[in-house]
Amino acid sequence: MSEIYWNQHAAWPMLATLQLLPLFGAVLLLKLGESTKVIWLGCVIAGLELVLAIELYLQFDSKNPAYQFAERLDLLGPLTYHVGADGVTVLFILLAALIVFLVILYCIARGLAETVRLLAILLAIEGLMMSLLCTFNLLWFVIASGFELALAGYLIGNWATSPDKGIAVARFFQFQTIGLAMLWAGVLILGWSHHDLTGAAWTFDLLDLAEHPIPANYAAVCFFLLFYGFGVRTPVFPLHGWLPTVARHGNVAIAPALLLGVKIGIYGMVRFVLPLLPEAVATWAPFVVGFAAAGVFYAALLAIQQINLRHLIAYAVVSHTSLVILGLFSLDHVGLQGALLMTANFGLAATAMMLMTGLVYRRTWTTNMNKLGGLFDRIPIIGLTFFIAGLAIVGMPGTPGFDAAHLALEAAIHRFGALPAVAAALGNVAAAGFLLWAFQRAFLAPAPAGRGGAVERASRLEWIIASILVAAMLTAGFHMEPWLNLVEAPMQALAERFSHD
Amino acid sequence: MIDTLTLLLLIYPLGALMIWLAPRAVPARTLALAVNLLGVLLAGLVLVSFDADQDGFQMLSRAAWIPSLNIDYAVGVDGISVLFLPATALLFLGVTLASWNSVQHDENKLPRLYHSLLLLQAGATLGVFCAIDTMLFFLFWELSLVPFYFLVNLWGVGPQRNYAATKYTLIMLGGGIPLLFGFILLAFNHAEYSGVGLPAGLSFNLATLLQTPLPDDLEWMVFTLLFLGFAVKTPIFPLHTWLPLLAKEGPVAVVALLTSLKLGAYGLIRFTVPLAPDAAQEMHWLLAGLGVFGLLFGAVAALAQTNLRSMLAYASLSHVGLVLLGIASFNLQGVQGAVLQLVNFTLVAGGLYLLTAFLQQRLGSTDLLSLGGAARSMPLLASLFLFFGLASIGMPGTSGFPAELLILVSAIQTHTGAGLAALFAMVIGAAYFLNIYRRAFLGPVLNEAVAAAADLRPRELALLLVFAALILGFGLFPAPLLEIIRPAAEAWVARLS
Repeated sequence: MSEIYWNQHAAWPMLATLQLLPLFGAVLLLKLGESTKVIWLGCVIAGLELVLAIELYLQFDSKNPAYQFAERLDLLGPLTYHVGADGVTVLFILLAALIVFLVILYCIARGLAETVRLLAILLAIEGLMMSLLCTFNLLWFVIASGFELALAGYLIGNWATSPDKGIAVARFFQFQTIGLAMLWAGVLILGWSHHDLTGAAWTFDLLDLAEHPIPANYAAVCFFLLFYGFGVRTPVFPLHGWLPTVARHGNVAIAPALLLGVKIGIYGMVRFVLPLLPEAVATWAPFVVGFAAAGVFYAALLAIQQINLRHLIAYAVVSHTSLVILGLFSLDHVGLQGALLMTANFGLAATAMMLMTGLVYRRTWTTNMNKLGGLFDRIPIIGLTFFIAGLAIVGMPGTPGFDAAHLALEAAIHRFGALPAVAAALGNVAAAGFLLWAFQRAFLAPAPAGRGGAVERASRLEWIIASILVAAMLTAGFHMEPWLNLVEAPMQALAERFSHD
Repeated sequence: MIDTLTLLLLIYPLGALMIWLAPRAVPARTLALAVNLLGVLLAGLVLVSFDADQDGFQMLSRAAWIPSLNIDYAVGVDGISVLFLPATALLFLGVTLASWNSVQHDENKLPRLYHSLLLLQAGATLGVFCAIDTMLFFLFWELSLVPFYFLVNLWGVGPQRNYAATKYTLIMLGGGIPLLFGFILLAFNHAEYSGVGLPAGLSFNLATLLQTPLPDDLEWMVFTLLFLGFAVKTPIFPLHTWLPLLAKEGPVAVVALLTSLKLGAYGLIRFTVPLAPDAAQEMHWLLAGLGVFGLLFGAVAALAQTNLRSMLAYASLSHVGLVLLGIASFNLQGVQGAVLQLVNFTLVAGGLYLLTAFLQQRLGSTDLLSLGGAARSMPLLASLFLFFGLASIGMPGTSGFPAELLILVSAIQTHTGAGLAALFAMVIGAAYFLNIYRRAFLGPVLNEAVAAAADLRPRELALLLVFAALILGFGLFPAPLLEIIRPAAEAWVARLS
């Protein structure tokens, strides 16, 4: 694992800028206070961050498998500031910047209370997410995770849509604390074992840890602590208990879009768990795959029974996360590529669905599908965006989901034989079933009798949000090559660790 | 310089986009009509510039699409596919004209959406016929589901249209899975055969895959998967249940597309048999058996219908059984007849469904209860319906005759029993058509709506006369069409031996 420092190929420390800009923006926004101008300032900062992320992508050399734009600064003992980006990082940074930008536009379109404070928190979360994505230091990762989750919990509590928000916040924190504790324990074991093996000072740095593999007797414990630690926030079946409650009583779109749009859990598994614990991963992969296969169907089955759109999307996310895990633990480079692209695709698609649901909620003040309907005639653009996002989740050709699912399937056929692959494909049709059905009831079914007055048409800002989403999904869908190239080199390197068997 | 096929595929989605970008003063239907006319022209150009003496793919155009997986944008036509292009373009022109007034005036019916969806559907359908990269084919194949879902949901005429749309889409998505698996297995096999490894050795190009030898067990797997995938779409009995439902619930003009464009049968001829020739030949009894059964079942079921639309749906099931029988004979006449019959369908079944759409517009129903004596108030419509109906049962002098004759002759040679059963089914075919025709169009007028209905307007008449002229022309002079199909069909048969 080699790294190239930023001063060798960039004019300024790009990763530091990506992390600091939103944090400064957040502070600035809080200082300036509520006013329309400040709202647009927040929007500009998020836009600038997106431009920076695109600049990072343009500067990034995807042919080179080394970590690039690395920065290092020794702080307190083992808490070194050490960051660097490979293709996967760049993909996730782009995704995170895009999603936060869209969520901020959405907050303005919704006209939520105390918008400036909301935007400030969103920007702070964005800064922390960028930090999570590019750090090499596991200790740093755990601490930043803690702050990020606390802010997300604050969002859920303060901009909730239901009077029962208490239960949502409580459930969220219960699960996330346990997840974080497991993650922390796993990281400690890694650090301690490194110290024990080498006698050197404590370190939690990925590059150092990777040089001395952890002994086999600790590896299994460590794997489960880290896997479940990441699993809670992803969420992976059967650790998804917080999601439906939060989806129902918390925000319609804001916090869920941040948590589920950018699946830091999956990212953490790829960046830390797979390279650090290759043996344990290979040993336990069949169990993980078994659970994931069960999860695809379990969540799909629950999703079919929901009458609340928000619940349904939550279960759809759980079902598809299991699909991603299947691809990831095929441990084959095509499968890994597929799983990562699938994560990005689901992230974008799930965000699109949740934002569109939020825009529907703004009009109907409910997400109960029995009380929706008749919306397509009035807001076709919102319906269409929802539908295209659904197609992306199903893996329809022409959306990024297809290429991703196609890769994962190829790997699954290759690795596990046809049966799990068929199961995954069937899970996909089940997904198609519930998404089509939800779309039908929410948008196409006749309007319910009780609704007073016509539904308001889409505003200009809503058109912009929807068009960005549709354009992003369709261009990525028809032109997948750059994204494939982006994750090709790192996944090739990662898969080699597993290819000896 | 952009080639004709790519241009043909591009103008439809671009037209759909134009509809949204154009100022509101320009009606969507005018733009849609212009695009469709252009499409017919381009498709005609493809046909004219097609060299009937060659047996391979022509007018090839190729560009890398996903290079790391060797997936290309690759289009081309051969004798089997080239005739479908003008037929499809013509049919879409017909459907656009048939929805000219029914969609236009009602603001809530979103005419812009309707016409752009129809254009997208046309582009995807033409893509299915042009694609020679299996993944590109699959892209178009699946894309053609999306506009249809909306068209049935939003403009369907039946009370269960939402159910019908979802059922159709889910069944087709389910059918897509075996197809995708079949294509992936073929690509894997090529990688293994070439010895380059994954993913560099993958190939999705049809011409390459045809050259790649396939181990026996894999060939059976591929045959099963591709047969299943296409059987759902064709539809082959017992996978047909979506068709009558959709025919009753969907928008009549749009259903014309579904019943008259037999993409599934095309897939069987294009992919399943050539890619798994030995397995297909061993399973000839299954193909012939399912064909004959579908033929008889469709005919008998059509006999029992009291709604013109359901009758036509079952008739289409019956006709496609005949095509399957033609494929199962695995000889030149059989496959020539099958392709000709498929092209013939597009015109005949399309014409019949468009006429039904006109009836639906006038009377709000196509049930026998609300018809009766329609020939009195609508003589032109009634006589054209008779003409198209006779063409559908293979009347000499119409294009149905040479096609059915070829299939029957080859079927009697290879599967005598099945061929005789097919002859019998023709008789039932005449029975169901003439019977329902008598009840719908002849006899006294029982219904005020029928008495008040206007006959075909000049626009409608002109459209159907074009269809009728083509049917008559090809019925009397089938030789040019057969010559176009021949080289590709000979190559197709040569692969089998």
